[in-house]
Amino acid sequence: MGQLKLLVQVAFRNLFASWVNVIIGGIILFGTVLVVVGGAVVDSLDESMSRSIIGSVAGHLQVYSEKSKDSLALYGNMGGEADLRVIERFSDIKKVLEQHPNVKTVVPMGTNSTMLMSGNTVDLTLARLRDLYKQAAAGETPELRAQIDSLKTHVRQMIALLEKDLERRNALAAENAMDPADLRALERARSQEFWDGFEKDPLASLELLENRIAPLVTDGDMVPLRYLGTDLVNYQKTFDRMRIVDGTAVPEGQRGLLLPKFSYEEFFKLKTARRLDIIKEARDVNHRKIAEDPELQRRLKENQTQTRELLFQLDPLKTQQAIARLQKVLGSTDTELEKLLVAFFTMDDANFDARYQQFYAELVPLLDLYRLRLGDELTITAFTRTGYARSANVKVYGTFEFTGMEKSQLAGSLSLMDIITFRELYGYMTADQKDELAKLQEASGVTDVAREDAEAALFGEDSSLVAETSSGSIDEDAQLAGSSQARRQQELALSKYTQQDIDDGVVLHAAIMLKDPDTLEQTMVELQEASKKAGLPLKVVSWHQASDLVGQIILVAKLVLYAAVFIIFVVAVVIINNSVMMATLQRVREIGTMRAIGAHRGFVLGMVLLETTVLGLVFGAAGALLGSLAVKGLGMAGIPAFHESLYFFFSGPRLFPTLQASNIITALVIVLGVSAFSTFYPAYLATRVSPLQAMQTDE
Amino acid sequence: MTQLTAVSGANRPIVSLTDVIKTYTLGKVEVPALRGLSLDVYPGEFISIAGPSGSGKTTALNLIGCVDTASSGVVSVDGQDTKTLSERQLTDLRLHTIGFIFQSFNLVSVLSVYQNVEFPLLLQRKLNPKEREQRVMTLLEQVGLDKHVKHRPNELSGGQRQRVAVARALVTRPKLVLADEPTANLDSVTGQNIIDLMKELNRKEGTTFIFSTHDAKVMNHANAVVRLADGKILDRITPAEAQKAMAAGAEGH
Repeated sequence: MGQLKLLVQVAFRNLFASWVNVIIGGIILFGTVLVVVGGAVVDSLDESMSRSIIGSVAGHLQVYSEKSKDSLALYGNMGGEADLRVIERFSDIKKVLEQHPNVKTVVPMGTNSTMLMSGNTVDLTLARLRDLYKQAAAGETPELRAQIDSLKTHVRQMIALLEKDLERRNALAAENAMDPADLRALERARSQEFWDGFEKDPLASLELLENRIAPLVTDGDMVPLRYLGTDLVNYQKTFDRMRIVDGTAVPEGQRGLLLPKFSYEEFFKLKTARRLDIIKEARDVNHRKIAEDPELQRRLKENQTQTRELLFQLDPLKTQQAIARLQKVLGSTDTELEKLLVAFFTMDDANFDARYQQFYAELVPLLDLYRLRLGDELTITAFTRTGYARSANVKVYGTFEFTGMEKSQLAGSLSLMDIITFRELYGYMTADQKDELAKLQEASGVTDVAREDAEAALFGEDSSLVAETSSGSIDEDAQLAGSSQARRQQELALSKYTQQDIDDGVVLHAAIMLKDPDTLEQTMVELQEASKKAGLPLKVVSWHQASDLVGQIILVAKLVLYAAVFIIFVVAVVIINNSVMMATLQRVREIGTMRAIGAHRGFVLGMVLLETTVLGLVFGAAGALLGSLAVKGLGMAGIPAFHESLYFFFSGPRLFPTLQASNIITALVIVLGVSAFSTFYPAYLATRVSPLQAMQTDE
Repeated sequence: MTQLTAVSGANRPIVSLTDVIKTYTLGKVEVPALRGLSLDVYPGEFISIAGPSGSGKTTALNLIGCVDTASSGVVSVDGQDTKTLSERQLTDLRLHTIGFIFQSFNLVSVLSVYQNVEFPLLLQRKLNPKEREQRVMTLLEQVGLDKHVKHRPNELSGGQRQRVAVARALVTRPKLVLADEPTANLDSVTGQNIIDLMKELNRKEGTTFIFSTHDAKVMNHANAVVRLADGKILDRITPAEAQKAMAAGAEGH
């Protein structure tokens, strides 16, 4: 007892006796702070990410057919969508899964992705004109005529603008790169005869414009669309983080699509407006300055050079209004809209806020802010499992976002779709639909395609703004299977579906919410077994696994942290080793004296080890304290997500780390382990110090 | 060689060296330190080992103190042949039988005066805390440092430090105390006091002392002076004879 007390006392008194110990202590302190803070941040990251993933799409568990080639990747993976084997009837697995006492809800799902073409401005205007002609066919009124004439003027104005653009482009290009056929078409569209003869066959004239002229305007965008087909009503009840932003939810039993707010803003909003929004947010939220930020300067420059999108949208009347408003705002007498716009979009830190407000107050009312309006129908063309293209029209009911992940691109890239439409796009139909299709095919085989349908087949869906642009595949589809358009319309007419329809059809995977998430692992095993017993072998994966690459990020973060900790402690081991070695050499005489007056080797070993342990404990405890305070501080202030892509992982714009006992315990265990480990060799050397060393004199 | 009879009645020597040879190897050169040394020391003796530098004084003390081993010959301490003992047994022998006083005091700098003296008792684990305290305080009183128990070595003078070292060497009541040049780092008055202290303890406790010294005044206190030259015993004489011999040596130069 007395010996141990003495050793502890010696250890404590030696603590600050040597600068070497202070260095060792410093390293241990730093290491502990890192382990505590890093551990707490990673754990909190894990937790917030699990909140994001579980509460938005994944649920606690995901199940899919065991026969699937790939493993499920809810957020997509590098090679495109995972190839999952379909589960023929959702109700079969639902029954099995819901028998487990820990299962709260099972939500059917399927994910797929495709590209959309967001319509360009010419297309939009032509579509509107086509609508008017259709109305006029039913009975022309003077009002209608006036609208038609106005739109026609708008189109002519656009063609004039387009020609100017092309001339400018050709002047820049070394050789004339224009297709002669396009040139001829453009010449024709510019000619007086074309417009004089327009009314004779307006639809044929429109066709020329749509097929020949519209493609010359290159402001249409390819929009990536990933969509999750699900039981929307059930989904909304289960995933509490989902929130409708604009528009409404898809009514029960209806087909429909909900776009993520983020994508809606990013891909469908007027680009000029979107750029201004981004700059505004950068200035307001992130306190960036236009003068210092090349990215913001680039966006402003784009607003000045890419005014065509605005010019195209404005018909002659609105052009006059816009000129008048801009003249007033700018105090200019210029009469050319383009120049006025360039002047207006010349912004800096001083005038930005005012101009931003003026833009929305003066110009936006004259423009279409979004290229896709809520309530419009969208034609989605996707490839089925077997690889042929299929299209479906879905009405866009609204936009949604996940609470806390409003700015996350990752969370904001998945649209929600009713599962019936999803199945159709994926190449599966309910039994009823199959019957119906058989009947329809029979019918269409004997009768000619009606004039209405033929037109639809040639020009795509009525009133669909995007159908025309994503034309290639649709038209081919229509030509390949003459009945498909008819069938689709028929189906849309019968588009109401029941819970029965949802439950009886195919699904690719399903989300499971648990009553008690703590027993997740055990439930996984039990569900897997239950499904096997029921003859429907399922793979049951946790949300972690289901989110694939995204789920791995936390793993990567942990690995990075552990690697950093490992490196720091390897360095620490080396330094501590050397330092204790030096300290031992400095104390050779003292150790020799102890040995001479009767201390055994074990005593010396214990002494050196205890000293480092005390060192580790004292500085480790100090580090743990410091780290805890740091975590507390971070927990109150929050770690800002310095990039929007982090919002998803932070489950919001800031991460508020919390401290757990395990963080401190881990840190102390590591520190003590490291200090003990790095002292073994020097301690062993110390035991080899000969008592003869005591006899050395000072000289 | 003049052989003196033992002072005390015991007739078994506490230290017995027989034909001891010690050779150090420095690189490829073999340096002989002792070349066949034989010496018996009886309990209660107060013996000074004298001789010029390099004569083998320190080596002889190291061998007696069991901190070094002989190349050949027999070193026996307290009746045990040290060659037959393990490292552990040698340590125990040092702990229980021998006390050390060093030229440079060799106190543990982070420990107080009290703790330095208590240290060997803690290693022994024989006494309970109360007995320990009694023993330590008695010795500190004897060396006149009972007022300085809480001081650290660096707060003491050289003489005070060496007195702490004496107390530490004697606290276990060893049969034998070895002191290599105990006064070399002290001024002559202080050195004198230390020798007086050692002598007093020798008389009171009957502890055997073997110490090496250059100092004729210090030698004066010894029962016998063993003179070494070139790793061998030159003679074993009385302090008075030694005094004379040294005076003659000084004249010779």
